Amino acid sequence: MYFECELKGKKYKVDVIEGRHNWKVSLQLEGQEWKHYDISKNDYKSAEEYVSFLFEGKSYLIDVLGQDTEYTVFTRNSFRTMQIYNDEMLLHRSLKKGGGMGGDTILKAGMPGKVIEIFVKPGDEVKSGKPLLIMEAMKMENEMRASTDVKVKEVKVKQGDSVESGAVLIIFEDKK
Amino acid sequence: MITPPFKKILIANRGEIAIRITRGCRELGIATVAVFSEADRDSLHVFLADEAYHIGPAPSKESYLNYRKIIEVAKQAGADAIHPGYGFLSENPVFVRACREAGITFIGPTPENMEAMGDKLSAKALMRKANVPLVPGSDGAVETVEEAIEVVKKIGYPVIIKASAGGGGKGMRVVRAESELESAFRACRSEGQNYFANPAVYIERFINDPKHIEIQVFGDTHGNVVHLFERECSVQRRHQKIIEESPSPSVPNDVRLKLGEAAVRAAKSINYVGAGTIEFIFDNQTKEFFFMEMNTRLQVEHPITELVTGYDLVKEQIWVAKGNPLSFKQSDIRQKGHAIEARICAEDPVTYKPSPGRIRACRHPQGPFVRIDSYAYPGYEVPIYYDPMIGKVITWGETREEAINRMERALSEFVLTGIKSNIVLHKTILKHPKFLDGSYTTQFIEKNFEVLEPEIFKEIDDPVFIIAAAITAYQDRQSKDVRRLNVASNWRRIGRKIQLRT
Repeated sequence: MYFECELKGKKYKVDVIEGRHNWKVSLQLEGQEWKHYDISKNDYKSAEEYVSFLFEGKSYLIDVLGQDTEYTVFTRNSFRTMQIYNDEMLLHRSLKKGGGMGGDTILKAGMPGKVIEIFVKPGDEVKSGKPLLIMEAMKMENEMRASTDVKVKEVKVKQGDSVESGAVLIIFEDKK
Repeated sequence: MITPPFKKILIANRGEIAIRITRGCRELGIATVAVFSEADRDSLHVFLADEAYHIGPAPSKESYLNYRKIIEVAKQAGADAIHPGYGFLSENPVFVRACREAGITFIGPTPENMEAMGDKLSAKALMRKANVPLVPGSDGAVETVEEAIEVVKKIGYPVIIKASAGGGGKGMRVVRAESELESAFRACRSEGQNYFANPAVYIERFINDPKHIEIQVFGDTHGNVVHLFERECSVQRRHQKIIEESPSPSVPNDVRLKLGEAAVRAAKSINYVGAGTIEFIFDNQTKEFFFMEMNTRLQVEHPITELVTGYDLVKEQIWVAKGNPLSFKQSDIRQKGHAIEARICAEDPVTYKPSPGRIRACRHPQGPFVRIDSYAYPGYEVPIYYDPMIGKVITWGETREEAINRMERALSEFVLTGIKSNIVLHKTILKHPKFLDGSYTTQFIEKNFEVLEPEIFKEIDDPVFIIAAAITAYQDRQSKDVRRLNVASNWRRIGRKIQLRT
């Protein structure tokens, strides 16, 4: 099964074949040779909560959290988040690109929290570095500022709203 | 066996500290009452107490800070004392007086103690009288930006602006140039107003590259005050401690004695009762120390003092609150070995942004000389409303080196997935030469870890992560297809049934 993977700006092509007793996983980092890994199912075993993965002489306890295209892998007190697209998603993506969607820029909540204060309204032109709104999560206030000069198209939240991670906060007009 | 000082104690707190206090009560044979907000029904402190009562909605203001409700619950449950833990109501004199009126013992200092130390400006005036060294700064509150500019002219940049009633990293700004002064001044005033209902701020010289050294003190109602030596808490991010150790590797023995004496003088000058901490700012070049503030409560990092002195501070708090004299004298107290604490926070280890959410796997470290004070468990959803700290790992060793190695070992055993945590940051800190030689200061993290892609993720090769994610993605896709197949076969089965009927 073919996937494409993006990890910290690096793009990989990935192929996974499941055998009766093994996994064959091939990785190709953009511009480099394919690398093939033959992993015995005995070396990649599910325990109740996590996977025990014996890989290149090392023992990893692994937990994978997958949501849509976003996969986070936890191991050895570390973690990485990557995007994984399967064939269906890749098809969707290529269709979207051709469709000429208006490239509005969107400010999303990076974590679940509460909107404390909003400084802008639709139609406002905001200079880079100026505050847009303040979010609060776990006692900390985080001021979110414009990363570039923008014009506000729509504000999707109001003061006092509790939002989930990834929720759209403000939509900006596409600069042409 | 000694009769328990109280029959039943209500713990007006949540999370790991509520559990810590529950343990102290159990060991003394005292029944415990937990309270919880709507967001905390599944919090471990609720499961471990003898009784548990719902006290209101998720926001702290309407639950853990709602002292009338808490006292009402205490009365209904028949609790004869309340332990406030740290944070929330722990340093609120209004609450202490309300407890008194209700005939319930508050386990902690007197309201007068809190008032003396709660406002940083009046605290400094008192400390000056008690002959405790102070940092040069504004003589009292600074009202206007113009006034602030005048003060800074006298003491010179860099300066730190602090909300008079602030704490826990709130309402504090370092200013290094006049261009930053006005906005920092306004921000501190508004944070002071928003969080502590007091916009007063003061300004003082910012000691470049200091260490944070604090002394644990303990007083009783008979006028005795002792200290239990120092804790070094210089490893901080966003002005909040994340690693603490005792003893400090930077304090020479003669200075240690002076610190202890100054702290006892400070506490005695206000007739302090119970557990408290005098925080000092410490210049590692000159070994000078200056009074910063007093925390009139039990600290998060109290376990390292417990491990090096052998005294249970929570049980001593309860004992002293009953009116008993301290169970130890200054000459009894010794520091033995070395203890380190690492605060485990649900946060991104690079950006320090909170990362609440559902814990998937959670397995705490075990083994010799490792103590875990944590409220994390598999499946627990860390709520967004409260502090990101979910637990503490504390290790003891005969030497500092042994304590550090033990901490590294313990953290390697810690499995915590589903949410981001700072465990990997701790492991990196423990290997850092400046941590190892003890020369680190409060700017250690800011200076050494403020890079986008720090060393902390380099240990493991990318393929490990990608292979695991790819196999999972494969299984996810397969299971979707299987579902589709099942739907198809159901249609076929129904079709066959219909055929059979006819």
